[in-house]
Amino acid sequence: MKILVPVKRVPDPYAKVSVLPDGSGLDTTAIKFEINPFDEIAVEEAVRISEQREAEVVVVSIGKPECEEQLRKALAIGAHRGILVETEANLDSLGVAKILKKVFEKESPDLVIMGKQAIDDDANQAGQMLAALLDLPQMTFAAKVELLDGKARVTRETDAGQETLEAPMPCIITTDLRLNEPRYVALPGIIKARSKPIEKIPLADLGVEPECRVHTLKLRPPAPRQAGRRVESVDELIAALKEKGVLNG
Amino acid sequence: MSAMPDPTGATQGLRGGAFLFGETEDLFSPEQFDADSRLMVETAYSFCKKEVLPVLDRLDAQEDGLMESLVRKACELGFAACEAPERCGGLGLTKSLATRILEALSLNGSFSTTFGVHAGIAQSPIVLFGSDALREKYLPHLLSGEWMGAYALSEPNSGSDALSLQTKAERTADGYRLTGTKMWISNAKWAQTFIVFARTNEGVTAFVVERSFPGVTVGPEEHKMGLKGSSTARLELEGALVPEENLLYVEGEGHRVAFNALNLGRFKLAAMALGPARAALHHAAQYAKQRKQFGRPISEFGLIREKLARCAAMFYAAESMLYRTGGIVDHAFQQVDDAAPDRAEKYRRAAEECAIEASIGKVFATETLALCADEALQIHGGYGFTEEFPVARIYRDARVTRIYEGTNEINRIFVATRLTKKGVFQQLLDCEATDECHDLFLRSVRAAWETMGENLISDQQICARLSDMAMNLYAVQSAAVRATQATGPQGEFGRACAALWREQAGVALAAAAAEVFGRCGKAGEPVSLSSSGGKDVDAIATAVLESDGYPIL
Repeated sequence: MKILVPVKRVPDPYAKVSVLPDGSGLDTTAIKFEINPFDEIAVEEAVRISEQREAEVVVVSIGKPECEEQLRKALAIGAHRGILVETEANLDSLGVAKILKKVFEKESPDLVIMGKQAIDDDANQAGQMLAALLDLPQMTFAAKVELLDGKARVTRETDAGQETLEAPMPCIITTDLRLNEPRYVALPGIIKARSKPIEKIPLADLGVEPECRVHTLKLRPPAPRQAGRRVESVDELIAALKEKGVLNG
Repeated sequence: MSAMPDPTGATQGLRGGAFLFGETEDLFSPEQFDADSRLMVETAYSFCKKEVLPVLDRLDAQEDGLMESLVRKACELGFAACEAPERCGGLGLTKSLATRILEALSLNGSFSTTFGVHAGIAQSPIVLFGSDALREKYLPHLLSGEWMGAYALSEPNSGSDALSLQTKAERTADGYRLTGTKMWISNAKWAQTFIVFARTNEGVTAFVVERSFPGVTVGPEEHKMGLKGSSTARLELEGALVPEENLLYVEGEGHRVAFNALNLGRFKLAAMALGPARAALHHAAQYAKQRKQFGRPISEFGLIREKLARCAAMFYAAESMLYRTGGIVDHAFQQVDDAAPDRAEKYRRAAEECAIEASIGKVFATETLALCADEALQIHGGYGFTEEFPVARIYRDARVTRIYEGTNEINRIFVATRLTKKGVFQQLLDCEATDECHDLFLRSVRAAWETMGENLISDQQICARLSDMAMNLYAVQSAAVRATQATGPQGEFGRACAALWREQAGVALAAAAAEVFGRCGKAGEPVSLSSSGGKDVDAIATAVLESDGYPIL
């Protein structure tokens, strides 16, 4: 079988990010970039599947040449080959889903496993949109993935409890945080990844236009948090909230 | 400008000792690691943070099986196989990268010592000096972590004077019979192999001794002040029978095995000192931000900021020296063909290439750790003196690094002695100065040489002052050149650190020079160096506080 895993290059989730003075974007000169943590979980899950049964894991990223770093890391974890769709364009979730649709059609995988959201814009849309565009079943926020004969079974954690879904393959699965804990990338794996193939495809060659309906007007950092004060009683708390206009009457 | 003898055909600036002549070309720094290399370093760093740091209390209590299982996990990820050539099952990485990985694994002293010995001096004698048969017999077990290794040179009455060792190796029909006691053996509790040095009729000779050989026993654990999680015990050899093929290198040439393993060992020990120093700076920065006095976080106070800045600046200098030396070591080792029949000779000369840099790097990095551990504790105030906070452990663990792998005193004497005996001081007499620090160093060398000549090696104080000056020169130069090569915020931070360190080192250089001149009848010689008045303290402190510690990995 073949598993397609999209990976997004995002700022290190633990990095302190700062906004450029003109508000046009983030200051990226000093930040480290990583695989989106949810995508890394997806890579780990796909690689674990390939360790259990015959499966090829193909990782795909969309963006600038630097995305190759994240693809190499995915290959070091154990993916078999990579695809980099090259574009400098800004994309929103639908734009990404339309590109992934083309990659899906080119590769015809049995399964797509991807992060439920990326930690940069937290949109949580691309997986669902991809499923809709391909008219394929989707199982989101997977906390457990099992492969049965021609079907996939996903356990997801909901507010009401655990929910178990089954869908025929091919289908789209998005990963939640508790699906697995990604392994340490072993040094021999990193060395082996150097010789694994990464196919570079200019976006135009996929026959799809870069699309972005979401326009970013300006970024600004959240206002610094004001110091709080300690209140002695519930009455005092209520009074203080009324004073601030948070409570009426 | 005259030059040092050049046994490896190294290019300018990449020869050992070139810095003494003011050469700085081709300086290697951590900023030059590529993305793959950085991924390896990050893996090591996250392994240490997630697997080692949460279990420090249990490690210090020597919980059964815990340290061995951590070492095995680290080996499974390839960390012990970094340097060994691919033809003997290693990954064949550069020594610089292997050292950066070791640094990232070294946030805790006990784990660092255990793993560092296993992956370093317990292994490198076999890689560098072992026959193909010995390599095949032992390296697979050591690289995979199935076995742990140890290195046994010191004895109860033979420490700094290592070649006075008394352990005997008598010839038998099919090998050797070893008798004696080896002391301070790291990993003794766990090791399956020991690199043992003993005396035959031909002189000091190195052997690979297995724990299972008849006549080999390990004594009880020493009760140490720190590094409680590491194992340190005696190795007793009571007529231990060692087969002939376990003799390493050449009979009577064991001192070359010992000293070259130690050259590389000292180079790496600098990394093993920077690991805990990084941890100390992290705790210091975090605590300073969170602790409030007089209504403000203490990180806003000038003296706290100065401590953080001085620690970071010295760290930057130590790190710059370490990886510059790494570049020199790699250059020397890359000339060696591992498949050649005379590889041991070539490896020996390659390991000798960095002898001076490795020694001063060890001294400087362990003194950097001493400063960082001490100031981190000071920043914690009374809380730092309790076991409730992690700095007390770092402080205790740090102390021994100035003692082992050659005390810092022995290393200082070694540097001056070697520079004298190799004729380097003499060559420096007509060397032109490249800057004011270099000028002060050269004038001090001239004053000492004109007054004492080769006899200066019998004056330990003069030796120490000249070694310290060489060390500070290497630190100042390495930090400054690295900082000018770097770009972006790392470049800015580096230039601030280099400038502050230059100022700190300037004070030390001037004091050492004044003493040399005084002892050589030139008391009036000018020694003062320019100073920028600590203008970089705030920028460095801010960077350290924002990053919760030293900002570069």
